[in-house]
Amino acid sequence: MKVSYLWLCEVVNITGVSPDELAERLTRGGLTVDGVAPRVKGVSGVVVGEVVACEQHPNADRLRVCQVNVGQDELLTIVCGAPNVSAGQKVPVAVVGANLPGGKIGKAKLRGIESQGMLCSASEIGLEVKLLPKEQTEGLYILPSDTIVGADVADLLQLNDVVLDIDLTPNRSDCLSIRGLAYEIAALYGRPIRFEPPKRAVTGEGSPVHIEIATDLCSRYDAQVLSGLNDVASPLWMQMRLLTMGVRPINATVDITNYVMLEWGQPLHAFDFDEVRQETIVVRQAHNGEKLVTLDGEERSLTQDMIVISDPDRAIGLAGVMGGENTEVTQKTNRVVLESAAFDAPSVRRTGQRLGLRSEAQQRFEKGIDVVAVRAALNRATELYQQICGASIVGDVASTARTEEPAAESRMVAFSPSRCRELLGAEIADETMQDVFSRLGFHISTSNFSGSDREWDVAVPTRRPDITREADLVEEIARLVGYDEIPSTLPEGATTTGTRTLRQKIHQTTRHILLGAGMTEVFTYSFTHPSQLDRMRLPEDAEYRRMIPIAMPLSDERTVMRTHMLPSLAQIGEYNLSHGNLGGQVFELARVYRPKSLPLTEQPIEETMWAGLWFGEYPVQLGQRPRAFDFYDAKGSIEVWLSAFGLGHRAAFRKTNVPYLHPGRSAEVVVDDIRIGQVGEIYPETAEEMGVAGAVYAEFHLDAIESLLNLRYHVQPLPRFPASLRDLAVVVDQNVAVGDLLYAAKEELSSGTESLLESCNVFDVYRGKGIPESHQSVAFSFIYRATDRTLTDEEVSHLESRVLARWQREFAAVLRS
Amino acid sequence: MNVQEIEQELAHLRAGAVEALAATSDVKALEEWRIEFLGKKSRLTQVSRQMGGLSAEERPIVGSLLNQLRGQLQEAFDARLSELEKAALAARFAAEQIDVTLPGRKTKRGAMHPITRVIEEIEDVFLGMGFEIAEGPEIETDEYNFERLNLPKDHPARDMQDTFYLTENLLLRTHTSPMQVRTMERMCPSAPVKVIVPGRVYRRDEDDATHSHAFNQIEGLVVDKGIRMSDLKGVLEQFAKAVFGPNQAVRLRPSFFPFTEPSAEVDVLCVNCGGKGCRVCKDTGWIEILGAGMVHPNVLDWAGYDSKIYSGFAFGMGAERIAMLKYGIEDIRQLYQNDLRLLSQFARTLV
Ligand SMILES: [Zn+2]
Repeated sequence: MKVSYLWLCEVVNITGVSPDELAERLTRGGLTVDGVAPRVKGVSGVVVGEVVACEQHPNADRLRVCQVNVGQDELLTIVCGAPNVSAGQKVPVAVVGANLPGGKIGKAKLRGIESQGMLCSASEIGLEVKLLPKEQTEGLYILPSDTIVGADVADLLQLNDVVLDIDLTPNRSDCLSIRGLAYEIAALYGRPIRFEPPKRAVTGEGSPVHIEIATDLCSRYDAQVLSGLNDVASPLWMQMRLLTMGVRPINATVDITNYVMLEWGQPLHAFDFDEVRQETIVVRQAHNGEKLVTLDGEERSLTQDMIVISDPDRAIGLAGVMGGENTEVTQKTNRVVLESAAFDAPSVRRTGQRLGLRSEAQQRFEKGIDVVAVRAALNRATELYQQICGASIVGDVASTARTEEPAAESRMVAFSPSRCRELLGAEIADETMQDVFSRLGFHISTSNFSGSDREWDVAVPTRRPDITREADLVEEIARLVGYDEIPSTLPEGATTTGTRTLRQKIHQTTRHILLGAGMTEVFTYSFTHPSQLDRMRLPEDAEYRRMIPIAMPLSDERTVMRTHMLPSLAQIGEYNLSHGNLGGQVFELARVYRPKSLPLTEQPIEETMWAGLWFGEYPVQLGQRPRAFDFYDAKGSIEVWLSAFGLGHRAAFRKTNVPYLHPGRSAEVVVDDIRIGQVGEIYPETAEEMGVAGAVYAEFHLDAIESLLNLRYHVQPLPRFPASLRDLAVVVDQNVAVGDLLYAAKEELSSGTESLLESCNVFDVYRGKGIPESHQSVAFSFIYRATDRTLTDEEVSHLESRVLARWQREFAAVLRS
Repeated sequence: MNVQEIEQELAHLRAGAVEALAATSDVKALEEWRIEFLGKKSRLTQVSRQMGGLSAEERPIVGSLLNQLRGQLQEAFDARLSELEKAALAARFAAEQIDVTLPGRKTKRGAMHPITRVIEEIEDVFLGMGFEIAEGPEIETDEYNFERLNLPKDHPARDMQDTFYLTENLLLRTHTSPMQVRTMERMCPSAPVKVIVPGRVYRRDEDDATHSHAFNQIEGLVVDKGIRMSDLKGVLEQFAKAVFGPNQAVRLRPSFFPFTEPSAEVDVLCVNCGGKGCRVCKDTGWIEILGAGMVHPNVLDWAGYDSKIYSGFAFGMGAERIAMLKYGIEDIRQLYQNDLRLLSQFARTLV
């Protein structure tokens, strides 16, 4: 909210406090001031001048030569190009030597005639032209005819004001007004406030308006009927304050309601009283489907939970949000009825949101207004209408409250000084707290003086709707004493241990293992678009296509929650390849979102995955030929990861067939018959479309491995007898999987009573010269060992021949000679 | 031969041997020299065989001369051998020399994402202070994200966080604070509750240099008997020193969050200038880093902890913001762009 420093100075004594100091104090007190800026920078030497004569420039069609009275002995000759200049006008004159935001004014010769200054437009003197009506921004800025010639324009137009931009938190609705800010500043500095409610004598004459409240959503409705309003502009001082606070001046009738709203925080509305049928105002809830054309010309369709102001026949306004066109105050208006009321905050907020409206009035209602200010603001506006528009009062204020009891001026909140000290952990004396409350204007009545556990009853004025319980008062104490007065301590309770859960350890270990395997971690967004799945060639009924839609997405490309990690990672691959990175291996630990039902009726399953992408070129090492990342790079990292969890030997890679992976180069990973993930080259067409041709993708369900882990481990004893190492090479059909050979060998040799095979690994696979067509030579190294003796050559040869026989039988393998 | 002649002969022999020894260039030549001058068929051996023709007085004299020369030659031989072996070893090393400036064979370590680095670092700080870590659902109910946190429907404070709704009652959590309630419900009635909650949150903000529709928050919550606002300050001070350096300090400013009262914005000394004032801190010397406060009595009561008996504090910070401050990253979108040229810089640890 933009706030005028000069206006504040008028209502609270802040002598000697600069705008910057004030801003700092407000900020440290909880009202963050985002900016302090002069309203207009660098205007001096501009005075009010009267254009006495105005003639055509002899040498220029568009220029006039004016004789201007600026209160000096001689008239100034000023050449002016503004189309609206004419004799008799009073305008701002920048005399020679004056400063304007655009620069210094000197003598200038314009087409042969010397100009002794410049007649100014609104923008030239730095006024907020965006808020001014068009006729005031085109050409010269015309001042009212009663303006005194020679007066300093900067003073007249309050150009030297300073604007504080306050970022109010939603609880401090009281500070949405000059009055509220005055109380806040008064409390911060312990200075007196100069804010008097207008006095208003009650005449005893009844009001012509009859008011009826027919809903609980309005607690109070006051109205004043006025007649004989002159259609005039509001005075300059009022216009300038409105401009400084960011409000558009329109005419006195409107400006006065806005001005009083800024001053008191109470929104007001004026109806054309002659249009209010039967002189009766009914505050009620709307009928479903009821129509009202609002002041902006839009026809609104209303619902039952909205509050409307109506006459006996029809709605005439949306309470707290916007008036109706049917009762708009116009130039022809003779009598107005001025409304000041208290409407239900949530209802006003809902109505505004439903209709897409967000007026200044609405913002104040929805955050809570001060019931006590309802009448005061009405009286203040009435006073201004009389002074400025020459209006006459018609009868007293008509006032209706929902309840018979008069509105209380304050509410009682119990407060214990010792509890306050305990909660803050700060030794603040009772006297200090009493002083804080007194500065805030909160009155203390002590309910229990005896003992140390005294409780106070603190009377909180209605202007502070945010304070309803002790904790709120504790905050008032803390912020006015200053948060810096709170010391630093550590909690004194029982000691606790901080450890990661198994699930968290799995996540952390996974990250660190993959980093160690050379993969870089990425973070991607969880939003995606369903079309991403089309590229993955998923069938129409695939589970992955059941994606949770976002109700009002911000972007057309991110409309649903992802069910699959591939598109997210492919985007990273594509981005890097197109930005000069030759390739990479990346992973992410993130969630995918699987609805239990669609449309969504309950929280979905959020499953944590780790997904990896190996794309582009493998980093060239010395002596190696450039090559692309391939399946085995991915598998290697996966094997390292599996081993870290003790799953290396229990995991099997089985050929698989999924739509988005290469059918000949993909595998699912199975541990104890549970499928924990998959890895494979991305289907060529898919990879091509995603901009990561040849890339390998893998994904693993981290939630699935928790139950597979064996968390107890005892070491294998060191061997006591030497091992026998034997290599064996066989030739088999090229479609025989090496994994199957290994599996068969291990099974063959573990079938006896004692297991003599310690390990068996493949160390070479060769196709080509010397090997029959469509065959491969596979070489293995076997390590045999017994736990109780040194194996003899005969024993080892026997074991070898068993393996060979099995391979021959099952795979038609032939010993390579 | 008389003694004199032998003496002459030996002097001649010595001169010849010394000259020949100096000419040997390798171990093989040296061995030939040894055979020639010290071997069984050497002149020295021949001379010693002639000792029989000498008188009893002459024999010890000549014997001594012979021994002396043999000793001298043997010594010279040993020295030369050592010299030649050294040279041979040097030659071998020269031949075996490699270029040590060539790169080593390695698997380059990958880089941890800066967001994770920050989260892990903060987790470790709080684990050390006895906090547990909890995670929670990103897709939350309106009840837990707002209502149970003292943010009823149609409350203007809901405007503080623009929300992505999925249905009328399900939404993407706008903060990790729902886990305050879920944790208290899980723990109730045991105390103390000490937990931090890292996790992804969402705001309906257009992405720009400082806003992201998705980011990571770290929530903290302590509930126990006798928890004070000064404890909040102390714990956050420990955090700031651990994450930003030992000379850190924190400053609390009054603020508003519906689920804490009193509430505070928390500043740390500017990580760029250390408090002197610079562009980063807009010359204030301080940088806002998190929101915090004493848990609102309503939130405690609704979660099962009687606010007359228990009190607590809570805080929440953005991992991205801390990463940006710590590493001088100026655009939050870079953290989600995942350019490997940026990320690979985080392969280094301990920064
Ligand atoms: Zn700084």
